[in-house]
Amino acid sequence: MNYTLLHIFRNTPFGRETFLQSLYFCKTIHAYPVVYIPKTDKFLMYFPNDAVQIDLDNSYLFSPKTAKKHVLELFDYMQIAPQFYMPKNFTASSLPDIPANFDYLCCPRSVSDLSSKIGLGHIGPKVRRIIKHATFPVLIASPVFKPWKSISVFFGGSVNAMNALRLGLKLALSSGLPLDVFTLLEKKDESYYENFIENQDFPETIKQLIRQWHFYKKSQFDKMLYEVPHDSLIVLGAYGHGIIKEFLLGSKMEKIQSTVMNNLLITGPYCSISL
Amino acid sequence: MSKIKNWYMQIYHKLFHLDDRLLLIIVGSIAGMCSGLAAVALRLSLEHVFEWLHPFRQYGWAFVLPAVGAVLSSFYLEKIAREGAGHGVPEVIYSVSRYGGLLRFRSSYSRLIASFLTIGSGGSAGPEAPVVMSGSAIGSNLAKFLGLNDRQRITLVGCGTAGAIAAIFNAPIAGLVFSVEVILGEWKFVNIIPIAIAAVAGTQVSHAIIPEQVIFNHIPFAVSYNDIFPSICLAGVTALISIVFTKTLRQTKKIAQKTSLSFWSKALLGGCTVGLIGIYMPVVLGEGYHFIQSMISGTFSMGVFVIFVAVFAKIFATAITLGWGGSGGIFAPSLLIGSLIGIFFHKFILLIFPNVEIAKEGAYALFGMTGIISGVMQAPLTGIFLIVEITGGYETILPLILVSSISSTMSHYIEPASFYFKELIERGQFLRPGTDERILADLNLGELIETGYDTFSENMVFRDFIEALKSSNQNFFPVIEDDTGVYKGVIQISAIRKYVLDPGVYDMIFLNQIMDTDVLTASLENGLQEVLDMMENNNMDTIPVVEHERFVGMISKNRILDLYRRELIMQTSVY
Repeated sequence: MNYTLLHIFRNTPFGRETFLQSLYFCKTIHAYPVVYIPKTDKFLMYFPNDAVQIDLDNSYLFSPKTAKKHVLELFDYMQIAPQFYMPKNFTASSLPDIPANFDYLCCPRSVSDLSSKIGLGHIGPKVRRIIKHATFPVLIASPVFKPWKSISVFFGGSVNAMNALRLGLKLALSSGLPLDVFTLLEKKDESYYENFIENQDFPETIKQLIRQWHFYKKSQFDKMLYEVPHDSLIVLGAYGHGIIKEFLLGSKMEKIQSTVMNNLLITGPYCSISL
Repeated sequence: MSKIKNWYMQIYHKLFHLDDRLLLIIVGSIAGMCSGLAAVALRLSLEHVFEWLHPFRQYGWAFVLPAVGAVLSSFYLEKIAREGAGHGVPEVIYSVSRYGGLLRFRSSYSRLIASFLTIGSGGSAGPEAPVVMSGSAIGSNLAKFLGLNDRQRITLVGCGTAGAIAAIFNAPIAGLVFSVEVILGEWKFVNIIPIAIAAVAGTQVSHAIIPEQVIFNHIPFAVSYNDIFPSICLAGVTALISIVFTKTLRQTKKIAQKTSLSFWSKALLGGCTVGLIGIYMPVVLGEGYHFIQSMISGTFSMGVFVIFVAVFAKIFATAITLGWGGSGGIFAPSLLIGSLIGIFFHKFILLIFPNVEIAKEGAYALFGMTGIISGVMQAPLTGIFLIVEITGGYETILPLILVSSISSTMSHYIEPASFYFKELIERGQFLRPGTDERILADLNLGELIETGYDTFSENMVFRDFIEALKSSNQNFFPVIEDDTGVYKGVIQISAIRKYVLDPGVYDMIFLNQIMDTDVLTASLENGLQEVLDMMENNNMDTIPVVEHERFVGMISKNRILDLYRRELIMQTSVY
């Protein structure tokens, strides 16, 4: 299967780091990166039930003449065949439509972090909106290029978490990297969570792919985050709640993003993963 | 909490098990009312700000007022709402034809605020297109909130549009007609009833808030047979002016796009220009409804030459306002230009033939308005119903129909695309339901690809291939590289007949010797139109699809035809 990842290129040193991360991701899971070099500071993605505008900052329009050259250099460095996306449709003259039929999206960092907190991410409402409607997993790359050597899935027993687990298994299969599962025992005991696997297809294969399943008590959320290998790709499911729900209920995703420095791969409620 | 949730779910399911049409009528009327509220809010706020700014207009520095408004408006759109300037109607049409009417939530208020700043400060534009954008976005987001499908969402976009136009002009039929004629482009039974009800709902909301809300008072006109010939001549004039207006709008925008000034400098420059024109020619400022009213009632006191100059001043001021960073529509400017032309034409006739008995100049203002609306939008029904409804003057219906038909026909002949459609046509995105372009655009390339083809190794000996051939019903056999799976070429039955008929060579040749490596391939990146062009130009009935050097499947003309017919039947169904 030809999986593709859409990367929105930013022609700055930070942008280079994020792009290297996308290239590494693709190389590891045998996907193809497709690069979009923006010519406007916004674009639209039409999902099945919503039109999401993605607002970029001016750094994405920096030095357009050298952008393609820099992209090609990095493709060459990672020995991956270059592929670019040129928008064909425009909602307005300065508002291109980017198709939503990619298999992964590397979230533009300018919408996923605060410039005042370089290194400390901030999910924010814009990213939540993408996650909420995306039919594909969203990669939130670490601020600097950081190769990952294992996959860590945060599994809480929900439908989204099951999707995340399936995605983790899929990545483990395609990359050959070990898979760890981290579960916070919020309501039930360990067997409750392990039974989810029994209801899946090929439970034995799944068990073989999981290197270790870590369980933590409800109060040990911080400990769990601390024990996630620093060089692993974290896969988790999220609902992409809006700002009000986040304010009322809090956001685990926000906590994870601001606590760990790993790359995150997030599956939203409309993202369906099959093995 | 769980009780509330259960209660909500019960209501939700009951509502969604209603008859589809009933559901659309209920939700459509809500969309119409919300759009009506938006339209009334804009109209009232424009009236108030105009009144508030009126005493300042006597000062010399007042020419900067439109500039301030334009700068604030473009700053708001560019930096806060992050939307492009302009009226937004093509955006709604595009969304309806391409994405099932999906519109951003921010569009439901952003254009209202921007056009309030532009028009309220004196910019030459109309509030109608922004309320259309707003109403459409309200309809679309209501559908999104309720999880409705594409078809239902498109109907609700139409409901929002109709409610907005109906409310701002107090003209429900014009709202319905505009929505179906311009925005949706299809007269379907399933659309018309909810849209009509939404239009009425919009009008009622408007009535409830502003009971004395008639924009233009009804004045009875005595129209006779003497008016027929002048109406025909006036239609020709309005058609020409419509073309001039449309071209000026587009050219001015192009010039602004080529200018390397910042967005706020452009807005400042454009606004000052409009302000300066407004000092000498106040008729160009704002939406100009009260000038139109005075022209209809025959109390407009300008001379023939000044009216003639005012027509072009208004065209220029509108083009500058909309092209250089302001926000608003062309509906109200079209009405003003039309009424100016109408009374100019009336005065001109009386100048040449002082004894001729024709209708009053107010009637000609109505004919002129219809002519320009029909010419610019190339929407004759909208032109007729709008003018009849907003003036309540059914006695002028015959010349109105004449002017509207001739003007829209003539302008279509000279400039085949209307102002709203031109941009979309140039981008190849004007996709009306049931047209070839729309059907091809709606067909998904992934759906057309026939997968399940067996692939064969390039090192396979021909005898093994013949064995495989016996049990295969394929006509095309993709050949791939052993180790990598990279696509190498294709074997067609017709091309290997000579080898098949010669068993002597079965063990002597391999597939890489007889495969065709020159066959054109398509990729998932290609649009369907591109794939069809490739097949047409190279006389192919089937084309392999290769992505990242891997064989994906085949696309055949038979498959395209099957799906084309299915889509055509769906799009042209009466219901």
